[in-house]
Amino acid sequence: MMTISFDSVGLSFGAQRLFDSLHATLPSGQITVVTGQNGSGKSTFLQLAAKFIAPDTGKVVAAEDGSILQKDAFRSRLAMVTPEWNLYARLTAEENLRFFLGLRGMELSAEEIRVLWERVELKWEDTRIPLAGKLSTGMRQRVKLAVLLAVEADVWILDEPCANLDASGWEIVLRAARQAASEGRLILWATNDPREEAAADAVIHLPWN
Amino acid sequence: MKYLSYLIPMLTVLTCYLVFAVVPPAEGLGELVRIAFFHIPLAWLSVLAFLMSAWWSAAYLRSGSMRQDALSACSAKLGFFAVLLATVSGAMFSKLTWGSYWNWDPRQTTIFVLILIYGAYLTLRAALPNPRKRARTSAVYSLFSCLTVPFLVFIIPRLYFSLHPTPVLNGDGHVDMEPVMLATLLLALLDATLVYVWLLFHAVAKEDPHEP
Amino acid sequence: MQSSIFHGIKLVFRKEFLAGMRCKAAWAAIFMFALTTLSCVSLALQGAVLEPKLQAALFWMVLFFSSMTGMDRCFAEEEMSGTFLPLRLYGAAQAVLFGKMLYSFFLLLVLALFISILFFILLDVGSVSLPEFLAVALAGVLGLSGAGTFLAALTTGAGVKSGLFSVLMLPVILPVFLPAIFLTGRVFGGDSMPFSHLGGMLLYDLLLMVGGSVLFDYFWYEE
Ligand SMILES: Nc1ncnc2c1ncn2[C@@H]1O[C@H](COP(=O)(O)OP(=O)(O)OP(=O)(O)O)[C@@H](O)[C@H]1O
Ligand SMILES: [Mg+2]
Repeated sequence: MMTISFDSVGLSFGAQRLFDSLHATLPSGQITVVTGQNGSGKSTFLQLAAKFIAPDTGKVVAAEDGSILQKDAFRSRLAMVTPEWNLYARLTAEENLRFFLGLRGMELSAEEIRVLWERVELKWEDTRIPLAGKLSTGMRQRVKLAVLLAVEADVWILDEPCANLDASGWEIVLRAARQAASEGRLILWATNDPREEAAADAVIHLPWN
Repeated sequence: MKYLSYLIPMLTVLTCYLVFAVVPPAEGLGELVRIAFFHIPLAWLSVLAFLMSAWWSAAYLRSGSMRQDALSACSAKLGFFAVLLATVSGAMFSKLTWGSYWNWDPRQTTIFVLILIYGAYLTLRAALPNPRKRARTSAVYSLFSCLTVPFLVFIIPRLYFSLHPTPVLNGDGHVDMEPVMLATLLLALLDATLVYVWLLFHAVAKEDPHEP
Repeated sequence: MQSSIFHGIKLVFRKEFLAGMRCKAAWAAIFMFALTTLSCVSLALQGAVLEPKLQAALFWMVLFFSSMTGMDRCFAEEEMSGTFLPLRLYGAAQAVLFGKMLYSFFLLLVLALFISILFFILLDVGSVSLPEFLAVALAGVLGLSGAGTFLAALTTGAGVKSGLFSVLMLPVILPVFLPAIFLTGRVFGGDSMPFSHLGGMLLYDLLLMVGGSVLFDYFWYEE
């Protein structure tokens, strides 16, 4: 049982006070959706939860069964999809996938990778050429999803994971998130789409103040 | 802190009086010897400020407290001024006694490397807009640049020939200086150190209103 | 744990190598930079013969500044293309640092070889003891790639990048640079080489790498 808890977190960017004594607990085994207008701080909330940025005041604590996880231990349990992150444009989809998995000490057989491409509905030929040359934005998003599905992380942090995806892509994400939650993973999902909000077990509305 | 505000002006006046009125002209150097009483404390400060800056950088990395970062940055700024003034006063002394401003003597090389490090540290700080990222990155750089210290101490003197007067404390621990001059020098060093401490904590307290 | 770090280093190196091979422009820029500066000097000299000491200084200057144009990209590029954060999420600090360092070392080695060959042709260097020259060049390149990779990481997040890397690099690399010039001067002059200096250089290279490795954790896992 893993939790990420926000304990009276405050954060400002210059004069702009984004969060003020924010309290929240994100438990594993459910989908927690973060919603709010553009610029309300969804992405920033996710970055805080992922411990990529530190709050000005208060703290964000990741714990498993009551014991606190150190930064590097927590990071090795985390997978993230955000629009700002990219894959290596000069590597093929398959090389990207193998690289990121390898960094986590994982290796997949050719068969497992074929199954994975099927799951995100990418054609095998498309995964054999450098991304820069061929793949559209939506197709790249699917490669990111493939990495997410393959690393088997305990914490999923998804920032608008359905951006640029068509209806079938949308289905894939939703199904995967549901299944992951039922397997006891912690899913944190930022979105503006009411349909995605409907799939949530808990919703956090921003702005907080 | 309050005592320091009174002590420092008194000490400074006393030191200046000693330097200009009491210390006798040295043989060979004449009146020029008076420059040394500014030059040596400044050189001392530039080294002290460098080491203290690195010390607070390490403290920041351990604690993550922005106050440590402010102290480190402030120390580096003071050290940068000290090192510039030390270089200028040293170059003047060098011109008047040996006839050239700069001759890559070991000590000049050392102080030049210090200028480069201070300059790099302050440039890095100026280039990083995010305060936490700035604190973290510059602390890491400050400690990394400390690795050159053994080089400054051991290698440079072996690569370059020196004209610089031997340090006050010779290798064999023997002090060759008149008692008056030594006392004045020690006083000047104490004064400079106190000024450094006062300026440092004054500047940091102004930046951080929560400071008691 | 040990094997996983080596595995990580190998992965990062392989990734750098693949991406590098597919971007001819980056390699071309570095080599053309070296060629341009060297041929400029050679043209300006019009066949005049330089003292060994000056030749050595010139050699290391060209290598230093060409390597700057190559190495400052090794993290900046990740940052620009948006792959820096995923790399930080999935990659362990030491694997990334040493993987990239290995690639920089490889890049600089090829570059040093290229510059040396050009240098010997264009500047009429006298007969040189090759093993000694190689030893100095290796020790120098090791220090350059060790410090360079670490410092390139520190420039991520900086608003102004151009020039910052060289500014950070110079004071830290002087302890490699000055003995390297001194030793290369002796080698070019046909003098014997004091091995204590070479040992000192290697020791400092080691110090840079160990220091960088310890400090990199603080940088990599920052919030
Ligand atoms: N690095 C930064 N520096 C300064 N301000 C920032 C920074 N990052 C975010 N902000 C500000 O914080 C606010 C929240 O930004 P954030 O990206 O979290 O919004 P969001 O809810 O994800 O928006 P969107 O729906 O467009 O993705 C914005 O007003 C933005 O201007
Ligand atoms: Mg956003």
